[in-house]
Amino acid sequence: MATPLQSSSNHPQVAVRCVGVTKTYGRGGAAVQALRGVDLEIRTGELLMLEGPSGCGKTTLISILAGLMHRDGGECSVLERDYERMSPNDTTHFRGQNVGFVFQAFNLIPSLTAAENAATPLIIAGMKRSAAVNQASAVLKEMGFDDRMMRSAPADLSGGQQQRVAIARAMVHNPRIIVCDEPTSALDRESGHVVMELMRRFALGKDRVLIVVTHDDRIIEFADRIAHMEDGRITKIENQPGHPRVAEATS
Amino acid sequence: MISIALKMLLGDRAKYFGLLFGITFTSFLVTFAASYFGGMMTRSFALIAENPADVWVMDPAVVAVDRTINLPTSALNRVRSVEGVLSAVPLALATADARFPNGRFQSVQVIGVDDATLTGVPLLTGGATAGVLRTPDAVIMDDGGSTGKLDTPSRPADQWPQGRPHLEVPMRSLATGDELLINDTRVRVAGRSAALPRFPPRPLLFTTFSTAERILLPERRRLTFVLATAAPGTDPRALASRIEASTSLRARASADFKEDTVRWMVENSEDVGDAITMLTIAMLVGFGVTGVMMFMFTNENLKYYAVLNAMGATARQIVMMVFAQAASCALVGTGLGLGLCAIAGRIFTGYDFPFRLMWFAPAVGGTAVLLVSIGAAALSMRPVLKMQPASFLAGR
Repeated sequence: MATPLQSSSNHPQVAVRCVGVTKTYGRGGAAVQALRGVDLEIRTGELLMLEGPSGCGKTTLISILAGLMHRDGGECSVLERDYERMSPNDTTHFRGQNVGFVFQAFNLIPSLTAAENAATPLIIAGMKRSAAVNQASAVLKEMGFDDRMMRSAPADLSGGQQQRVAIARAMVHNPRIIVCDEPTSALDRESGHVVMELMRRFALGKDRVLIVVTHDDRIIEFADRIAHMEDGRITKIENQPGHPRVAEATS
Repeated sequence: MISIALKMLLGDRAKYFGLLFGITFTSFLVTFAASYFGGMMTRSFALIAENPADVWVMDPAVVAVDRTINLPTSALNRVRSVEGVLSAVPLALATADARFPNGRFQSVQVIGVDDATLTGVPLLTGGATAGVLRTPDAVIMDDGGSTGKLDTPSRPADQWPQGRPHLEVPMRSLATGDELLINDTRVRVAGRSAALPRFPPRPLLFTTFSTAERILLPERRRLTFVLATAAPGTDPRALASRIEASTSLRARASADFKEDTVRWMVENSEDVGDAITMLTIAMLVGFGVTGVMMFMFTNENLKYYAVLNAMGATARQIVMMVFAQAASCALVGTGLGLGLCAIAGRIFTGYDFPFRLMWFAPAVGGTAVLLVSIGAAALSMRPVLKMQPASFLAGR
């Protein structure tokens, strides 16, 4: 599937545009309105953090942006495509090509090696296993993995190392959007910072968007913009260009 | 994707071995039951198998070798007159009570073979030949798959006693020179044979047709089968058809008569029902164990399937993964089950157990395993197809 919004221009383009997005779980008296009209625009080359208390709708919003969940109302285009106008199979293919995921619990497959885990999106896309593992190994090597670590099972790696494998897995197939759900909540402060630095350095490019859901204040400083959510709405968006941490990580 | 699926499967050793156990058990039990059935059926047509006749001629109402009524003696000459018959000999089958020297009695199958050719007498033990039947009142005894039913008292004092029978006395196996009473006629054991075991097991008494006529209770007809040998170049089936057309008797080529007997056994024997019950239990237990283990395995890996789905794996790819896991277990389990069955067969045949691993037994076992595996995979597929990848975000 061709990826829209391919651009060699240095000017950031709008990768995600949401207007009045709503989502309700359940029906009748048990209905819970998770999103109550979210407006959001994310540009390429940007690391946007979604911040807010538990239950404010952050995960619901990124699930909709990643094509894992249907919205109930509003408009939302991702890379100029609308999931609601795509078949389930097209959505899955689109996700496979354009969206990478970093999960809070890493969700690495325990019986695969680190390199095999990182290679999974390429294998799903149809690449031969050996070629996929080689490509994933190259990415892991850039992230400081040696041969022994690449052959290790996830259980033999530290939390920070596992999250690095997860980041490699999210970016190995060069997706346009990387969605990270609480990527540092299972890590200590130092590992969390290392992970965020790696994400800025390797995962964020001028054609790519990073959306990070967090309520970890320790990593807020890595964001280009911070969208504060509360009760299903984005209440405030803060810009923090040129923050020392951002500059340091980017350099 | 298949390699990922197999690595996921092999990574969880406990469940993998649980799955293998379920499938191996199913494969073993189903193949064993089918082989047991094969052994029973083979024994049911043992009389046909050990006789060199090309065509068996019988009363039109006879459908199996053990369900017989007799023919008029003229049938023998009528068969001999049919074109293409090289030779035809009589065979008498009957059941009689043999009284042993201590007074014990035992039901035996009497097989009266042609006096001239002695066709159908099995190999004798101890180097004797069928010619021993030419001596007066001679019989050859055979266990016919039974055990301990041809024992006779060891001490002369317990043989042909006056008054009450001597039942609880030291016994030995019947040997050449021993005597029995068949319908008050004394016969002499001229040898022991090693015939194919029968199903159901029963002692056999081979003798000549004329001796059989003399020792059996008088009947208007004594001839049970006419055994025809086809002339060189004559097809036994064609000859059987010709005999039927010429004589109005039923004639079956040897191979066809075996099939008839098996069919009759399948339709009428209660032991077949036992074998089917065994098969059903094997299938149910195998399906239960395999289904539950497969379901547990898939359910525990659900979040990884969801992650794969989030990363772009289609439902079809994930279904393929689950089926690849089931197929891999099925293949290994079938092999193990068949291997175990072959080993068990070697052991059991040593104890004269009716076991015969015929071509259809692995086929039945393989089919059962296939059904069990597909069922188990289908059972575990439901949560995979219903899963919502979004629910696994945020560490859920």
